[in-house]
Formats: sequence, structure tokens, C-alpha cells
Amino acid sequence: MKELLVVDDSKVMRDMVVACLRGISDARFTQAASGLEAIERLSLGRFDLVVLDLNMPDISGIEVLEFVRSQDNLKALPIVVVTTRGDEASRASALAAGATLFMTKPFTPEAIVAEAQRLLGAGA
Amino acid sequence: MVEGGFQEFVAAYVLEAEEHLETATNQLLSIETALRSGGANLKGLREAFRSLHTIKGLSAMVGVEPVVSIAHRMETLLRSCDRRSAKLPIESIDVLLGGLRAIRSRVRAFGEGKPVPLPEPELLRALDELDDEHGADSAEIPPLELEPALASKLGALEVEQLRAGLAEGQRAVRVDFNPSVEKSARGVTINQVRERVQQLGELVKVFPTSKPPSGEQPGGLAFVIVLLTRAPDAAVAEAASVEPDSVQLLASPPSREALLASKQRALGEFDANNPANEEIAAPQRGVVRVEVSRLDETVDGLSALIVTRFRLSRAVRALRDKGIDTRELEEIVGDNGRQLRNLRAAILRVRMVPVSELLDRIPLIVRSLKRSMNRLVELDLDSGGTEVDKAVAERLFPAVVHLIRNAVDHAIETPDERVRRGKPQEGSIRVECSNRSNRWLEMRITDDGRGIDAEAVARRGGVPVPATSAGLLALICRSGLSTRDVATTTSGRGMGMEIVERIVTQQLGGELSLSTEFGKGTTFTLLVPLTITVVDAFSFISGGQRFVTPVATIDEIVELDRSTLQGPTLSGKSAVKLMARRGRPVPVLSLAEVFRMPAPENEAKALIVRSGDEIVAFSIDRMLGQQEIVVRPLNDSLVKVPGVSGATDLGDGKPTLVLDLISLGSRLGERGGLHA
Repeated sequence: MKELLVVDDSKVMRDMVVACLRGISDARFTQAASGLEAIERLSLGRFDLVVLDLNMPDISGIEVLEFVRSQDNLKALPIVVVTTRGDEASRASALAAGATLFMTKPFTPEAIVAEAQRLLGAGA
Repeated sequence: MVEGGFQEFVAAYVLEAEEHLETATNQLLSIETALRSGGANLKGLREAFRSLHTIKGLSAMVGVEPVVSIAHRMETLLRSCDRRSAKLPIESIDVLLGGLRAIRSRVRAFGEGKPVPLPEPELLRALDELDDEHGADSAEIPPLELEPALASKLGALEVEQLRAGLAEGQRAVRVDFNPSVEKSARGVTINQVRERVQQLGELVKVFPTSKPPSGEQPGGLAFVIVLLTRAPDAAVAEAASVEPDSVQLLASPPSREALLASKQRALGEFDANNPANEEIAAPQRGVVRVEVSRLDETVDGLSALIVTRFRLSRAVRALRDKGIDTRELEEIVGDNGRQLRNLRAAILRVRMVPVSELLDRIPLIVRSLKRSMNRLVELDLDSGGTEVDKAVAERLFPAVVHLIRNAVDHAIETPDERVRRGKPQEGSIRVECSNRSNRWLEMRITDDGRGIDAEAVARRGGVPVPATSAGLLALICRSGLSTRDVATTTSGRGMGMEIVERIVTQQLGGELSLSTEFGKGTTFTLLVPLTITVVDAFSFISGGQRFVTPVATIDEIVELDRSTLQGPTLSGKSAVKLMARRGRPVPVLSLAEVFRMPAPENEAKALIVRSGDEIVAFSIDRMLGQQEIVVRPLNDSLVKVPGVSGATDLGDGKPTLVLDLISLGSRLGERGGLHA
């Protein structure tokens, strides 16, 4: 069973991402509605892949990345960062902060499933 | 055309986009207020930016390109100011509000399946020009003395917020929350703690830190919460589920303000700086603070009991029909019904909060407004001892704030002007509350300002002068006109009147009325129900009409596979088809046919409902989404239809029927309509 964490403060966006990833067999989805919740869940449980939004209240996706990568046990966790047009500057900071991969909205289910499966396979 | 198969998300997309549009509108208006008084409201800027960014991302996913391109340009402007902690140029507010209107109309068109027009070239040009020009001033935020580890985590906007909060007499405190698996199992999570702490004041910043293990203390994750508050440490600690001594004071209000704070203390407000007041701040004897979500659980439990009772009385009736003596059982069922009604009333009473709690928050708002607007205002607040349901209070408050703000901003004249007009230098705003019957709260907000110039408003709107005050109210609540024109050019009011009207009439099912005399003053009267029922509901289309039904009443939503349907077999007049579900035949009724509407051939989904032992599938056209709705009872007996439990407004101003499919299913079952 692969454990996936989908982080976005927009419920519709979380639901859409989960809907996109339904194609992955044997996966279980956990949703986090904020960067804080994501960090809490990552520190309390085990996850195989994170799909992360950048634009969130309290702490941004970049701050989540920085914190996660500062934790020894989470350095290798694959983190897919979801961005939108106009996020180019944030993308550079996210890369510096340790993002594994970027997906730009709009993306198709096929595209994200293929990337996710590749990352999950590599991590196994 | 929805791309990538996101059809099922259209309704939810529209709802979420509308929420963000409202947030962005409110933030822009409050930024404008701040700019006029020399402030910046960097926090508002960040919020508005975030809302637009979310709208853009969602719109890209569902494929509404025109919205993406408008939102992108607006966001670029806000982002560049946010990055540099710069003030938004004041002339940009108009253009940005126009951009929000353009987005709203396109989101709605998309939701209704209409073609989405391309952005107006003038709008895009205006936004581009602003972006070129924005060499605007940097907001000057003087630094604040804080420990370096913390200071590095706080940006200009947090420092601005801290400064403003301290100046208002709040304390800045820090509290650390350590999450654990065990706490999380009890529901004590960072989201919950954040929510609870926020209720005690203004949240400034929350960020994670990781502590190395030291001595017997295990290391691990801690969330640092920085809060502006008037609440005592004990209350903050309780909200964060930590020991009282782990709340740290970061900064206290300056001494001039401390003086003011002591005045407020005399008026019954907390100042936890003084240890003597910790006792006063301690919970009153016999009073328990309960989260609304826990109360909601009791209401859910009660609903389940009511459903069980319904099944019980049906079973008793069935026994009686078989000739069995059920008199004792019926007596018990009768007692049970009365007890349930009493329990329901008791739970509703627990949910009531004094209106005075809402009114208590007004002086602070007026104080900061008065200062920034150079007005003298005397407030007279009278809650009349009234109470309303917590859910009503939460919705009502923003509307009251809007009206009070408008009164201070636009209605009350400057002291000089008032003297010239022969009025006392100090303006007056009065809020009075009373109960109308035992179901309604009436709140009157009266000012003795300049009144509304109906002619000027009509001129701005390009319409004839309204003959009645209801007509005038409708005009100032009209979208577009209301947001700014009225407020700034005709010395009337208008900021957010559209929002006020929506809260009172649509969200709460109440009434808003107006009486105004030019030159003398204005009274707004809000009539709202004391309680409303909020439930989580599915929305769907059947027979081309939109309906909603509570999520809790639906067992399952299934795809309807026409090819595996058996039947139709004719029984009397109604044709009943059967579908197989877990090896059992389940009757399938077209909901449209039940309501005598034309049923399309291609009904694709079915809602499975269990009523007692009976399982029924209602076939429908398609699902729209899931959302919280406010159920309003149908009072008109002419429209009392079995299976319809009330009406709701999904935000378009049109009533949507709330269906009770369980009782509908059982009624049809009793008539024998279900049996092939």
C-alpha cells in the first residue's frame, strides 16, 4: 500500500488531484488542508509521496519544503509541487528548497499518474 | 467545455471561486480604507493575492482560460507589491474591483454552461498599465524588538500587524504546540489548536520548529504560534492544550495605551497583564465553554434519534394493522416523541449566544475607524437581552460590521460640518435589538448622519429616483453600483451593501429594510431568524431541476447502468424497474417522475436510500456537488409537498428544494408503489 499526502488549502483542488491520481493502484490518500497540517502528518506518519501546493495561508509550500528537508528522515521523500502560470520565481525557490518535481496546472490525470508512478517506483 | 474530465467539480469550483471573490473584494475594500488613512494593510494584500492565485489555479484546472488571464494580471500586480511590502497604489483599487466583477460574471457563466466571454481589452490594458507604474512607496514599517530567532520568521506584514495590535492594547504572546500520535488520536491537531487559539485574538504567525532531544526531553516537532490577544495566559494555554506556564509574553502594549486598556477593564474587558485580573478572567462558576462542532455532534445524534423514532412508530402501526393490541406501545411512543421535542429545544437553547457578545466587539471597530476618519461618534448599544443561535451570530456579525462601518465612514459628517448643519458635534450610532415573536430577532441600526440622497444615487445608477425606501434599498444593494460609487460620490453609503443584503436575505432567510431622511439620518432594520439549520447536503439535477438532499440520508450514490436494469414491469400506473444491488433487487424510481416532471431517458446516477428495511434507488440526471446549506422551513401550506423538508438558497437568489428522500421512499412504499 502506497501512502500519498495531498496538500492544498482548496478543497476542490485536493479533490481534483485525488481524482487524477485514482489511476494508481494500491494507493491510499490523505488530505491536508494546510502546510501546518502537512508537517504534522509527515512527522507522525509514514508517506511515500507528497503532492504540495505553494500558495497556502500561515506557511507557504516553500516553507513546508524547507522544513521537511531539514528533517533527516524526510530528506528523500518525493515531493511533487503543483504550480500555476506566474509561479516561475516561486518554482526556483521551491527547487532550491528541495522539490522533486513540478506539475503546472492545468495537468491531466495521465501526466500526473505517470510521474507519480515513476517516483513511487524509484522510492520502492 | 471542461477539460481533463473535471465535469463533476464544476459546481464545487463555482462555489469556491465565489468564496475567494468575496474574500478578495472585502480585502481590497479594507486595503482602500487603510490607504486612505495612511496605512498599508499588508495582511489584506497577502490575503487578496492568495485568493486570486487560488482562483487562477482552479480555473486553469477546469479550463476557464479568460478567468485565468484576468486573475493572472491582477495577481501579478498584488504579488509585486506583496514581495516588496509596498503599498498598493490607491487608484488600482477601482481597476482591481472591476477585475473581480469580470471574473465573477465569467465564473457564473461557466457554472451555467454558457460560453465564457474573453476578457475586455480595456480591463487587461488598465491592469497592465498599473503593473508598469507600481513604483509605489514602500510601506514604512518600523522594526519591533523581538528575539532574533523569532524576528527572522516574521515578515513586514506580521510586524505591521503586531504593531497595530499592540497599539490597540493587545498583548503579543507565543505558545508552542507539540503534536503527537496520541494527541492526534484525541483530535488535538495543529488545525484544531490553530482554530481555537485564533478565537482568542488575532493570529500573527504559525511556523514549525524542530527541537533536538535534550536530557530527558525527547526532541521533535513543535509549532510556534504568535498571537495578539486580550485573553489571559490560562485561556491561551487551554486553547493550545498546553500547560499555562508555557505561554510567553513577547510584547505588551505601550503605556499610553495601557491607560486606555485600564479604561476598558473598567468596562469589563480583560487585561491579563495584571495578575489580579487572572481571577476575574477565570471561568465563571457553572459556565462551560463548548466548541460549536461538539454541539453539532449532539444535533446529529438527535437527528438520528428522530429517524429511529419515525421507524418505531411505523413498526407499531404495522402491528396495529395486523390486529395486535398496541395501546401500551403507542403510549410509550407518544412519551418518546415529547421527550425528543424537549431534548431538541434544550439543545437549541445551548446553542444560543447573547447578542450582547456581538455588540461588545463593535466599540473597538468604531474606535479605530473614528481615529482614521476624523469623526466623533457616540455609540449606544442595546442588545435588549436577546439571544441567537451561534450559527446565526457568526453569519450576522459581518453584516453588522459593514453597516456600522458605513455609518462611520460615510453617514456621520465631520465635526465641523455637523456644527454648520446645527447638529451636535458628536454623531450618534444606535443599535437596538428586540425579539419579534419567539422566532425572530429585530436589529435596528440608526445614525443621525447625512441620510441617503436618493436623487444622487439614482443619477449614478442611471435610473429614475425610486419611489419607495424599498426601491432605494434595492438600488444601493445593486451589485456594481454599491461597491464604491455611492459611497464616495454621493455622500450616501454603499460599501458592501450587496454583501449585507446577501447575508441577511439569502444566508439567513431574513429581511432587510431601510428608512432614511436626507440630512437627518438613516435606520437599517435587520430581521433574522433566531435559529437556522445547517446541514451538509448533496446537490443534483433531476428532471432538469436542481435539488439538494442531506448527505446523512443517502446510503450510497451509484452509477445507473441502463443495460442491467430489469423491467419495466407495470404495477398499476407506475412502471417500476429493478436493479441488482449486492445480490438483492432494488426498485428504481425516477425522482423526476415521482414529482411528475418529464424524466430524461438518460438518467445516469441513482441515490440509494434506506427507510427501515426497505431500500429504494431514486434515479436522477446527474450530481452537482456537496456543500453546507441553510435549510429554511416552507411555511406556506400550499407548497407543503411530501418528501420536501424545506428550501435553501445555493447563492443564486433562487430557492432550491431540500428533499427528504427517506420519508418520500417510505410513503411510496406504503402506497405499494414500490412492489412490482
